Amino acid sequence: MRHLTLLMLASITLGIIVIGFWLLSPPDSEKITAGASPVEALRGDIEGYYRAEGPKEFEFPADHGPHPGYRTEWWYYTGNLFTENGRHFGYQFTIFRNQLSPPDADPIADPNPDPIADPNASPPKNQTSWATNQLYLAHFAISDIDNKEHKYEERFSRGAAGLTGAEADPFRIWMEDWSAELDADASSPSEESLPVTIQARNNQIAVNLSLNPAKPLVLHADHGYDPKGPDPGNASYYLSFTRMLTSGTITIEHTDYEVSGYSWMDHEWSTSVLGKDQAGWDWFSLQLSDGYDLMYYQIRNEDGSLSPYSTGTLIDPDGNTIALGDGDAKLEERENWTSPHTGRVYPVRWHLSIPSQSLNLEIATFFPDQEMNVSVTYYEGAVHVEGIRDNEPVAGYGFVEMTGR
Amino acid sequence: MMPSRTTFTSGYISGLLWRSGIRYHFRRPWLYALSVIGIALGVAVVVSIDLANNSAKKAFLMSTESVTGAATHQINGTGRRLDEEVYRTLRTELGIRKSAPVIEGYASKPDLSRTFQVLGVDPLAEEHFRSFSSQQAGIELSTFMSGEITGFLSETTAEALQTAPGDTLELIAGGRPYPLLVAGLIQTKDKYSRQALENLIIVDISTAQIMFGMEGHLSRIDLILPDDEAGRPGLLRRAYPEPSSTRTGSSTDTAERLEAMLPDGISVVRSGSRTETVAQMTRAFELNLQSLSMLALLVGMFLIYNTITFTVVQRRPLIGRLRALGVTRGEILRMILGEAFIIGLPGTILGLTGGILLAQFLLQFVTQTINDLYFVVSVQQVAIAPLTLLKGMLLGVGATLLASLWPAREAARAPVRIVLQRSEKDALLKKNIPILSLTGLLAILAGIGSLFLPEETIISGYLSLLLIIIGFSLVVPLLISILASLLHPLAGLAFGLPGRMAVRGVVADLGRTSVATSALVIAVAAAIGVGLMVDSFRVTVDSWLKSQLQADIYIQAPGFSTREPDAGLNPELITLLREAPGVSGSHSVQRTEVQTSQGVDRLTVVETDRESTRSYQLRKSDPGLWNRFDNEPVLLATESYAFRNGVTVGDTIVIITDRGDQDFVILGIYYDYSSDTGLLTMSRMVYDRFFQNKIISGLALYTDDGTIVETLMSELRERSAGIQNVIIQSNQGLREASLEIFDRTFTVTIVMRFLAVLVAFIGVLSALMALQFERSRDMAVLRASGLTPAQLWGLVTGQTGVMGFMAGLLSIPLGVVMAAILVYVINLRSFGWTLQFQITPEMLIQAMLVAVTAAILAGLYPSWKITKTNPADALRDE
Repeated sequence: MRHLTLLMLASITLGIIVIGFWLLSPPDSEKITAGASPVEALRGDIEGYYRAEGPKEFEFPADHGPHPGYRTEWWYYTGNLFTENGRHFGYQFTIFRNQLSPPDADPIADPNPDPIADPNASPPKNQTSWATNQLYLAHFAISDIDNKEHKYEERFSRGAAGLTGAEADPFRIWMEDWSAELDADASSPSEESLPVTIQARNNQIAVNLSLNPAKPLVLHADHGYDPKGPDPGNASYYLSFTRMLTSGTITIEHTDYEVSGYSWMDHEWSTSVLGKDQAGWDWFSLQLSDGYDLMYYQIRNEDGSLSPYSTGTLIDPDGNTIALGDGDAKLEERENWTSPHTGRVYPVRWHLSIPSQSLNLEIATFFPDQEMNVSVTYYEGAVHVEGIRDNEPVAGYGFVEMTGR
Repeated sequence: MMPSRTTFTSGYISGLLWRSGIRYHFRRPWLYALSVIGIALGVAVVVSIDLANNSAKKAFLMSTESVTGAATHQINGTGRRLDEEVYRTLRTELGIRKSAPVIEGYASKPDLSRTFQVLGVDPLAEEHFRSFSSQQAGIELSTFMSGEITGFLSETTAEALQTAPGDTLELIAGGRPYPLLVAGLIQTKDKYSRQALENLIIVDISTAQIMFGMEGHLSRIDLILPDDEAGRPGLLRRAYPEPSSTRTGSSTDTAERLEAMLPDGISVVRSGSRTETVAQMTRAFELNLQSLSMLALLVGMFLIYNTITFTVVQRRPLIGRLRALGVTRGEILRMILGEAFIIGLPGTILGLTGGILLAQFLLQFVTQTINDLYFVVSVQQVAIAPLTLLKGMLLGVGATLLASLWPAREAARAPVRIVLQRSEKDALLKKNIPILSLTGLLAILAGIGSLFLPEETIISGYLSLLLIIIGFSLVVPLLISILASLLHPLAGLAFGLPGRMAVRGVVADLGRTSVATSALVIAVAAAIGVGLMVDSFRVTVDSWLKSQLQADIYIQAPGFSTREPDAGLNPELITLLREAPGVSGSHSVQRTEVQTSQGVDRLTVVETDRESTRSYQLRKSDPGLWNRFDNEPVLLATESYAFRNGVTVGDTIVIITDRGDQDFVILGIYYDYSSDTGLLTMSRMVYDRFFQNKIISGLALYTDDGTIVETLMSELRERSAGIQNVIIQSNQGLREASLEIFDRTFTVTIVMRFLAVLVAFIGVLSALMALQFERSRDMAVLRASGLTPAQLWGLVTGQTGVMGFMAGLLSIPLGVVMAAILVYVINLRSFGWTLQFQITPEMLIQAMLVAVTAAILAGLYPSWKITKTNPADALRDE
């Protein structure tokens, strides 16, 4: 599993519900975002939502699209991109879908129950396109590695009225003027392939990127079914394009940079994931110089121990996958960083060893401050990797996502 | 250091004079109290009208401000709606993030007769605009956005309605019931925001679209454009482009550029512009109320003048002695003015208090009128404006000092020996009658002259009214003398000696009676003037309604103000109603708004046929009007529209249509009394060519010959049941309902009229009391010479009755002139309406009765007092 950012999403919803209500007051004093804990959010009501309860047959392009009925879903793009001169940027573009009420509850009640209504009279037509139970969030960030600057923005919108949403065919996920859309010009060797163009901009930063999968779609864990705990249903469906050839433009403060490199795309949906005692996670997506890609995450329990549901996937240059199970990998933290913004503590240097694959990696963030201090605080940062695989030196780039402590 | 001797002496003497003045008043508490009450009433009326006006306006501005939030500009469509596609374009293509969709509407809670402003928002877009409706404020999105009818209201409103979160409010919007689930309360921190949110219900855009039948539409889009600078409405710029050198860059340019990117008919305007226009609509209405309230103060001034004059005359011997003792003229002047101050200050303070209370009462009438005529506003309480109180303070004290300046100067100027004589004042007045009358005539002429000033303002109209009133009051003594000499023999014939004595008494004490009579004349004349004006108005409106309402049955969706565009009728219902058996013909009406080169104007879209064209009483028109009306971009304008905007037949008005800016030619000006801000009228066929809005808000039906209107109406009610709550009225019913609104509009005027008469009544009462006190010695002589208490009572009552009769008689010409000025000058200049001037004899008789009754009532207490006095005591007095 990955981006447990999902939890953050859920907690945003919860935050809105819990903090909100009677506390309507000026925004400076009552940010719904303040102090929301990603893990707390998981205790939300899951009654009535669909659950990920076992492996399923995916259908494409439909399964690239949204899965309403599940409480949360995201499309996550990260990548390390370089200019010709070697200037280096990390980027993140994520769209989150968050369902506010279970699918069996009719979101649009009869607005006008008129007891004396003539049964023959036609009921009022309800054609408002704004009513919805879909809340979307988007996170957009750029790590300017050379200047050690991390710029980011979070946006919210309702998944309605054509403002924001996700569509499978043709693939399009968008929040207002930020979008990832199927790149119709790109070569598309299979139904599963998903070449996209990503466009996002704000006052400071912008991206306009073309992404083309260099490897086939990866179904993590059990054919894309990824349990996070012992309880059935505490699981997600998790698909990735682990290596996407990327080129385009990154703009920072009105300066354009032509860049190219690799991106990584995750698509995951679920209703509940973390178990009761689980405290947080550390997640890695790494693209190695020998053509291998590695996804690895570990879930930490409240007592500090590691959850046995920590897993990963190693993808060879041809796209064949090797599932990593409990105990296959060992992650040691080598250095911590305390965020001056939130006071949270995040590891920023690790040693990862996977003995079964003769793999030993030193992982470190390019610079520490890549915290996303948004509605729910987390860390999404570009990392570099050096190490040894089968006695051969390897290197690489990647991203780390953490909930921190 | 010792204080200098002069300071000591003058300090001592002025202290002495001061005390003497106070004691003088305390010995006559009734007189003192009446003077205080008189000034208090005058001040109270002025203050209360001001407070009521300001409260209504403040409530309106605050609610618009809170609804406008931090927006600098707004995007409007044609009418009061625009396609939500514009917002989609803004967000998804142009990337304009500081934008928020808004739907505004009204919903009522009929059992409480309260109207709420309903604000439909997207809480996720609100952050920069309105803190209270933003997601950051903690709105629970899962039910709020779901399209269910849920909403937020302020904590204080919920308290007043005794509702809590989870409760349901039964609301009516557009004629349909909507049970609104109270999802939460807005906690307000300060009084300001509490008042601003008092009448607001916040709902989601989805909910608002359902409630107001706005699916696919928004009322407007709020924007925050960079570099907030004053910009003019886009259309004005486009219609009358400014030279490019005067452009100042920034948001005006941004607004222009943005407007250029949007479809035709969409305009980007500065946020406040609409509020300002709306707030200005009531200006004439307010000014008229204020002027009427000043009338009460004017009458109050006569009262003060009367009292002070009396005290001066009565203390003539004392003043003479004081002057002989070396008290200077300045000191006498200051003493009298000081005494006036003793009346003025408590009177004013009492008046301010009374004004606040009275405002509470008047507020409902003022609010009702504003709601009927201008815009929806709900005011729960009087906002006490310090400025108004200060103004009332200055007016009260100032009016008192001004009114007493003349008698004070009179007292100070008189040489010592004359002052020692007693009734010199009356002699003086009689001597002065020619001068007074001449001055009065000049004032009247000046007043008439100022009617013809080239600058035709409402103020100059009232100025001339004031000059005529004051001038007339100066002529009153002369007129009384003339009347008395005419009445004298008549009264003698009718009542014998007491009759003659009563008439004589009025003339003999002309110095005091004339002021009291003047006060009564002005008050009664004001009553006549306002009454005749309202009558004329009513007759005009009634005959206009008769000609305007040609159809037999009228159907409309319920609205909240004549100013608000009506809700639409359900299209299926329209067909059902039109096809009802017994309906021989019909035409539709839609009331909406358009952006024109003149601002935001109300537009009535009508289907015309030969029947309905007859209903327009044209004041001026192009001969080809009806031939071109359905086929060309032409318009009709109401008289008030033509007046307000200075346009006439043949002029062109640019209207933003869904197809872009379009010139429309005015082909006719017609009489209309439904709106003082004016209306434009367009043919439905022409409208449909330029606008996409297909809404019909009203239907007029004609019946077959054999059909009984009532039967058809109940059939129509059955047909509409369950589809939409609509108002179905017969021709007669609609006319009555319209007149009812008319009468409601003038309730406040009638209240004012009553108050002016009340002040006059107190004036007469105090004048008579003063008079009778002074004459108690004469009365005692009469008693001693054998006049029975009953005869004496008859004499006093007779005298006041004569005064009342004279006042009534004199008030008729003044009242008619006032009415004429109100009808032909003030009304025209305020609203642009031509009224048929009507003099109703009932009104004149009524005025006469009021005057006589007031005077007789005022004479009751003094005469009772005199008959109770032992003549021996009274004679011993000096």
